[in-house]
Amino acid sequence: MQGYAEPAPVSAAVPPGPNLDDLTLVVRAQEGDVRAFETLARRHQAALYRLAVRVMGDHAEAEDALQEALLDAWRRIDRFRGDSAFSTWMYRVVTNRCLAMLRKRRPLPVEDVEDGRPAPDSPERSAEAGASMAALGTALQGLSDDLRICWVLREMKGLGYTEIAEITGASEDAVRGRIHRARTRLAEVMRAWR
Amino acid sequence: MALDPFLDGGPADDAPLEPLACGRDAATAWDRAEAGTVPDEHERGCPHCTAVRADAAGLNSLVHRMAAEDIEPPPSVMERVMGAVMSELRPHDLLLLESPHGTNRLGRPAAAAVLRGVVDRMDGLRARSCRIEQVPDRFDADVAITVTARFGVDLASVTARVRQMVIAAGEQALGVPVRRVDISVVDIWGDG
Repeated sequence: MQGYAEPAPVSAAVPPGPNLDDLTLVVRAQEGDVRAFETLARRHQAALYRLAVRVMGDHAEAEDALQEALLDAWRRIDRFRGDSAFSTWMYRVVTNRCLAMLRKRRPLPVEDVEDGRPAPDSPERSAEAGASMAALGTALQGLSDDLRICWVLREMKGLGYTEIAEITGASEDAVRGRIHRARTRLAEVMRAWR
Repeated sequence: MALDPFLDGGPADDAPLEPLACGRDAATAWDRAEAGTVPDEHERGCPHCTAVRADAAGLNSLVHRMAAEDIEPPPSVMERVMGAVMSELRPHDLLLLESPHGTNRLGRPAAAAVLRGVVDRMDGLRARSCRIEQVPDRFDADVAITVTARFGVDLASVTARVRQMVIAAGEQALGVPVRRVDISVVDIWGDG
């Protein structure tokens, strides 16, 4: 039998450095360069994780969503055409993953969600900054998924309406409406903490 | 507003926003407040706009604090992702290397990474795409490489050098004779 060697691991390549731009790393990843993909994933993972944490409201679920989204990105990297920034494309991948997980979740009974909102006397009980932040977090989880996702992309990520429309697939008018409704709802709940 | 379902979401979330009682657009009023825009004459006198600005101001510092929270994913996430990526790699994309004692095979992505690395080490150049196509039924290959260059580098001499380096690396590091090297400069970057 003719011996043929395993594909040789060649280590002469310079590891893709932090100084390479996203597009260069994407093209390399599209050509099968795993290390380029790893650099890209490491560069964006914290921002994507923060998005997932705010959308899911739970760290363990956010970790799962991030992990699955990064694998989705690797498997579908060919579909990235460079029409938008890589970060925008990744936000869409993470958002879709979160939505899929949220749909699989058993819906919370309404009374549980109501219980999660700050009781009327809680501002007096605890005026700490951490408590009001927790209350905002709870109120955020009380919003519908569509409102919460748009609000998070706007207020936590600082994205514009056009980009959020691109990520969520909703019209720009719908995005404006969702963000405003989310803001109004959150302001209503948080009025008790002012 | 009674029409807004707090929990269910659904079409009412996407109904057109009703303007404030003063006729101003509610979302614009909030955006202006959030952006720190100085209230115009109408906003200073209008109770509806003032109420929106108060809500926005009330939420603003908390929202900023939440956005600034430094949350990092645990390292285990990337470890699991890369473990899965590696396990899914299919070593079918191979170049054939000539050898007197049989055929050697080299993963095409690994070979491309070596050639990109050669370009990356050149001052003011970065490789982007690197495609290696072996000539059918032969061992030599055509390479198409795209590069980005720092503004100011002498493109004519630098592309000649890339060609020379790629041919040398192909033959010496990879054992793949290079028949042809096409180079496209696809972007120019500044230092800053």
